[in-house]
Amino acid sequence: MTTPLLEITNLHASVEGTEILKGVNLTVMPGEVHSIMGPNGSGKSTLSSVIAGHEAYEVTEGTIIFNGIDLLELEADQRACAGVFLAFQYPIEIPGVSTKFFLKAAVNAIRKYRGQEELDAMDFLDLVEEKAKSVNLNVELLDRNVNEGFSGGEKKRAEIFQMAMLDPLLGVLDETDSGLDIDALKIVAEGVNKLRTPERGFIIITHYQRLLDYIVPDFVHVLLDGRIVKSGDKSLALVLEEKGYTAFEPCGCGCSCA
Amino acid sequence: MMATAVDTSVFKTLHKSEAWMYTNVSALAKIDFTCNSDIDEEVIREFDIAPNNPFVVFANGVFQETLSRCIEGIDINTNSVGDIASRGDSQIPRGESDTVTITGTQRTTIHILHIITGNDPTACFGNVLIHAAEGETISVAQTHLALDACAHLFMPCTEVIAEKNAVVTLVKAIRGSKEAYHLGALHVVQHESSTVQTNTITLSGKCSRNEVYAYLDGKHCESNFDGMYMLGKDQLIDNHLRVEHNETNGNSREFYKGVLDENAKSVFTGRIYVKEDAQQTDAKQTNQNILLSDDAQATARPQLEIYADDVKCTHGATTGEIDDEAMLYLQTRGIPADSARTLLIYAFLNESLDELTDDLFRNVLVEELLANLPGGEFVRSLYL
Repeated sequence: MTTPLLEITNLHASVEGTEILKGVNLTVMPGEVHSIMGPNGSGKSTLSSVIAGHEAYEVTEGTIIFNGIDLLELEADQRACAGVFLAFQYPIEIPGVSTKFFLKAAVNAIRKYRGQEELDAMDFLDLVEEKAKSVNLNVELLDRNVNEGFSGGEKKRAEIFQMAMLDPLLGVLDETDSGLDIDALKIVAEGVNKLRTPERGFIIITHYQRLLDYIVPDFVHVLLDGRIVKSGDKSLALVLEEKGYTAFEPCGCGCSCA
Repeated sequence: MMATAVDTSVFKTLHKSEAWMYTNVSALAKIDFTCNSDIDEEVIREFDIAPNNPFVVFANGVFQETLSRCIEGIDINTNSVGDIASRGDSQIPRGESDTVTITGTQRTTIHILHIITGNDPTACFGNVLIHAAEGETISVAQTHLALDACAHLFMPCTEVIAEKNAVVTLVKAIRGSKEAYHLGALHVVQHESSTVQTNTITLSGKCSRNEVYAYLDGKHCESNFDGMYMLGKDQLIDNHLRVEHNETNGNSREFYKGVLDENAKSVFTGRIYVKEDAQQTDAKQTNQNILLSDDAQATARPQLEIYADDVKCTHGATTGEIDDEAMLYLQTRGIPADSARTLLIYAFLNESLDELTDDLFRNVLVEELLANLPGGEFVRSLYL
């Protein structure tokens, strides 16, 4: 039997004393794309932050096993090195450092962790060219400071490009579709689809079904009030689109009787 | 000419005045400064960073003709500082010394090196007058470099006149010994529709005070007075500015930022004065500090003095640590926390250096910054 890529069991997490995640269970097998949908405040972004290792969130119960290792034991940078990538909903701007410069630090930190030789400037730039081409990103953008003055679409494409550069096993996309028009959305989705392999898994966090027209998920989960209340295939997203999240409000009996 | 001796008695009581309350330089009054130390030309040549640019060298306040490359528009004289310096209330002593006057439109950046060297504490002035007549453009890169671990004292005075439509760009860098004192004044007069951009970069010195007095005497002046500093153990920086809007439609911006490690101290005093008739003034002042240690200390004093009623004046000061969200972003890309911190400090400071138009000058400052920055080697390894 194949080992799960990610196995989240009974995950509880709090921020500043308030419990946000109240027992999340989720298993992602290699090559699978899982979409997590839910209304504002349901805990979607908290889940992505906890997976990535944000220190502001305290895990009070449960486990996250990634590729056979206990993810909660690792710092955020170690998780990235182990193969977890988080595409931010609001990528941070860093004036004073170009994207290339920043990515060289990232790529070589990860290579070092994995026991690979660090890339010199030449090999690094070759890799940049190759990956930029593969996700349709203008290389000139990468000479600008990290995300500074990028349009909404450019920021999200730059995130997908970073993912391509860092070659993770698991890509977590936190509302990558927010703020994108339909053309930008298609370009981003195309980039993600190119990164789909039999080994790599994805968790796509989104409000809307729209993105899932372009990145077709294997599974869709509804997150409500810190718990996954319903799981299904891609058709579940269409039901959500039609009926809204209120149809999935828990009835109080402990099941998810939508 | 020879440099003249310096009367240091004034330093005894300076800190009792409001303008100097955070910067006590009374120790200077006890030092017996010389001004006649020997100079090694070979050492100075190492700091000639732009061999294709005009170059003016002063060593211990004395013009070095054989080391300099003067072109038309660069004149050396022994005038004492002029009228502009007398308009403000600077208490830094001024004195006669070799002076360089720069006029005319200059196609390339003029590099000026003030070097102070010697085994005994050495003091000197160093006067510069930049006069851009109507429509002329002048760019100057000025370095103040103290060599030897010795309590040397710089008291440079730079005057800038920008006439109608003139453009003046001036970068001042304070480099070298961490034992030296730097008490410098920059006086700027602007006429109609002129543009002046200054950057004061302090990467060294035990105690540096950079005064800026700016007079926007014409309409539609554009003025940017920016600064950056990175200091550590037992170092103090005092940026002291007064910007006078004396005419309408002036835009001024002061943007100072720095990083303080160990017990370093920063003082920022920014006075914006808007005269009664100077309507439509837009003045903005910002001071940002990152403290790397509990012992570091930053003091920001915005002082707005506004007599016109249709103006925009804003000020903001922030003092803090490295941004957590930015740290997380870097860490989620696999960069370990200590490297991420180094990279963010570098980014914060390098943003100021990115603005500098002269590549050679900027590169030297980036190198000096990396040499002082804990973890600078890591940043250097990222260069492409």
